[in-house]
Amino acid sequence: MSPHLEVVANESVATITVAALSKRFPNGTLAVDDISFTVPQGQVVGLLGLSGSGKSTLMRLINGLHTPTSGTVNVLGVDVGQAKPADLRDLRRQLGFIFQQFGLVGRATCLENVLIGSLGRLKGPRIGIRTYPKALRVMALERLDRVGLGAQAFQRAETLSGGQMQRVAIARSLMQEPKVLLADEPVASLDPESSNQVLDLISTIAREDGMTVLCSLHQVELAIGRTDRLIGLRDGKIVLDQMTAGINPNVVMDLYRRHGTSDEVREASYA
Amino acid sequence: MNTTVEARRNTPPLTPQYFLKLASIVAGFVAVWWAWNRLNMSVLSFFDDLQNVVNLFKRMYPPNFSDTDRIISLTFETLWIALLGTFGAVILSYPLAIGAAANTTKHPIIRFLCRGIITLSRAVPELILAAVFVVAYGPGPFAGILALALHSIGMIGKLFSDSIEEASEASGEAVTSVGATRRQRIRSAVIPQALPSFIATALFRLEINIRGSAVLGLVGAGGIGQLISESLETIQYKPALAAVIVVFFVILIVELVSTSIRQSLIGEAATQQQNKQRGRLSSFINRRDALLNKTAYEKRSISAPWTTERVFRTTAFVSFAVLLFFAISTVNIEWSNTIQNTPKMGTVLRQMFPPSAGGEYSLMIKGLIESLAIAIVSTFLGVLVALPLGVLMARNINVRRFMSFGTRIGVLGLRGIPELIIAVIFVSAMGLGPVPGTLALSVTVAVFASKLFADSLEEVLPAPREAVSAVGASKVQEFFSAVVPQFISPFVSNFFYLLDVFFRSSTVLGIVGGGGIGYLLISSIRVYQFKLTMAIVISVYLIVLIIEWLGLGMRRLFK
Ligand SMILES: Nc1ncnc2c1ncn2[C@@H]1O[C@H](COP(=O)(O)OP(=O)(O)OP(=O)(O)O)[C@@H](O)[C@H]1O
Ligand SMILES: [Mg+2]
Repeated sequence: MSPHLEVVANESVATITVAALSKRFPNGTLAVDDISFTVPQGQVVGLLGLSGSGKSTLMRLINGLHTPTSGTVNVLGVDVGQAKPADLRDLRRQLGFIFQQFGLVGRATCLENVLIGSLGRLKGPRIGIRTYPKALRVMALERLDRVGLGAQAFQRAETLSGGQMQRVAIARSLMQEPKVLLADEPVASLDPESSNQVLDLISTIAREDGMTVLCSLHQVELAIGRTDRLIGLRDGKIVLDQMTAGINPNVVMDLYRRHGTSDEVREASYA
Repeated sequence: MNTTVEARRNTPPLTPQYFLKLASIVAGFVAVWWAWNRLNMSVLSFFDDLQNVVNLFKRMYPPNFSDTDRIISLTFETLWIALLGTFGAVILSYPLAIGAAANTTKHPIIRFLCRGIITLSRAVPELILAAVFVVAYGPGPFAGILALALHSIGMIGKLFSDSIEEASEASGEAVTSVGATRRQRIRSAVIPQALPSFIATALFRLEINIRGSAVLGLVGAGGIGQLISESLETIQYKPALAAVIVVFFVILIVELVSTSIRQSLIGEAATQQQNKQRGRLSSFINRRDALLNKTAYEKRSISAPWTTERVFRTTAFVSFAVLLFFAISTVNIEWSNTIQNTPKMGTVLRQMFPPSAGGEYSLMIKGLIESLAIAIVSTFLGVLVALPLGVLMARNINVRRFMSFGTRIGVLGLRGIPELIIAVIFVSAMGLGPVPGTLALSVTVAVFASKLFADSLEEVLPAPREAVSAVGASKVQEFFSAVVPQFISPFVSNFFYLLDVFFRSSTVLGIVGGGGIGYLLISSIRVYQFKLTMAIVISVYLIVLIIEWLGLGMRRLFK
């Protein structure tokens, strides 16, 4: 049983609904274990937990990169686990996904990488900037401007710094005009300064565009102040789910104590 | 920004590099067009050619294995030539590799000399070496063994010295620090680290040399190739097919055995195997070994106990020694004659200098140009076929498992057949000339290249692909946006590698009437015009160097 939440979400416009979701990998690992939660439209959620606690797996389940072993994921009214490939493609077009390792095509220019974000809307394969319609190219330039990298449009992605790469990846997501942004440890391979920059960018854009965000992080202090709500995972289970405002950082830090059992952490969070 | 977004450039700027790339692609197609016309190739006649090959196979069927004794003895001769040739190359390469590696030889001149010998030994095709040795030592397997041994130094020596250089410095220093000499250090710290990779290299070369020794018979240097060329020349197609089938299976079996040994020695599979300590048998083995070690300790034994691994290693070593002894004692060589003939070899060598084309100058140039044209067209055609095959074979791209698996099996099977055997068959079917030679070489390029392409595709990073599919791209879009850009640079370097390898191959096609410089090359040896032989060998090598240099430039441009 997952703990019952005191979060009062705007149930009428739920964007992500996860119900009794589990994922067991073919090698036997139970990475996500009976998780349920609902994210209302426009909420910025921080996902915390130790390495291996199932954060990445959960995010991948939400955009259909993995299929659930049991339970359901409903995003924007689509049952992700049951969706046909074409429907899944349609859904993914509306979900931005930010990876820890950026996922840029190193040899391609920044502009082309941003243009890749529009592939879901286009028919047929593209290779090279010139194969994209002019309107999209202009739009991609705007997105690069928005992340502050307009000047690097024709630079190869592999020549950028880590923080810049992640900003290009954000611009790529913006190209999708997404309703939901899933960010899987977007700053885990960045230095503190770039981390702040990238997270500020994400939270600013989220508020400006009214995006729903699910962002996994390792640093509690980065999450506080930028998120509306925190969800903590341990061994694939939810052990913490609270609004960020007024939360006691020590309670959250308990998530990262290797030896505390889930129950102790849970009790602490209700104390 | 002071200009509006619409007004800003939204296509990549046209850099000089961009034009250079464009120009080299155009130049590549012009070269193919030139070579195509030079060889009088025609797409229309492909169908006739195909029909001719099918007809030939109809006449060859069913294979006639009635000359069983000869088939068996020549098959074993083929095996022994490959085994002894490879063994000879290993013996010769060992000191050369130590001399060439920077961490075992400090003297720059010795290093330079050893490296030079290693590089040069690759320069002459083994069939040409074999033809020269046939002149000096007479027809038979000895010429073949010597040719394989000398030619293989190029690869074995290079890979040996690479693995010596990869050995960690730390253990070498530790050995030196106890006061050991340089030779002791090499023996105790360097060689043990490099040994698994030595064995893997030798086995890999053995696989290549089996294919080589199957065609040595074409120049009279022993092995089953003799039977194939004899039967085809005397229009006895059914025995010829029998010999081809035997070659195919011998190569396949050697390759399967050798590959499985190699994989258990090095690479991913080896680590996987070491990690897999679960199965019932291996837990039994582990318990037995633990017990043996414990008893040895309790008895204060000073020799290692016979653990499973030691039994395995010793068995492998003893069986190899027995095989080698058997090969030496059964192979048809009059050892006393070979010693007597060695001065003759000296005479042949002396007659090679100074190299000169003499009156055959224009024939030589014509032959070289034809060989180059054959190499260009066959690389182009082969790559054209290999690209889709490679995509099908790559395990990380294909959606349907069985198609990937099927293509792999087909390509693996075809890979066993040496290009000269395909060329002999095509020439018999279509008549003499460069077209059958080119088509035969294209088949080999396609088979060889599809494996290379599949390997590079499998090395493509998965992260960008995942990111592209996460934006809702289709499989095809993902392939073109995330896989193709990563594939361009390995493609360019593979392309020039293929051109290099198959230009060398195209220079011996003439031996079986498949066009190019090979005909003049083999004739010059047969009529003792060794100065011309040398002139051709040097010209071929110069062209190889030019191709390598061009490849280097293109690799840099398309990086
Ligand atoms: N494809 C897979 N196959 C098998 N097991 C997997 C796979 N992906 C993840 N796992 C396992 O599932 C568990 C959860 O992994 P997950 O990547 O979701 O954790 P995480 O919280 O994102 O960790 P990190 O902070 O290190 O990224 C781990 O035990 C992991 O080993
Ligand atoms: Mg993760």
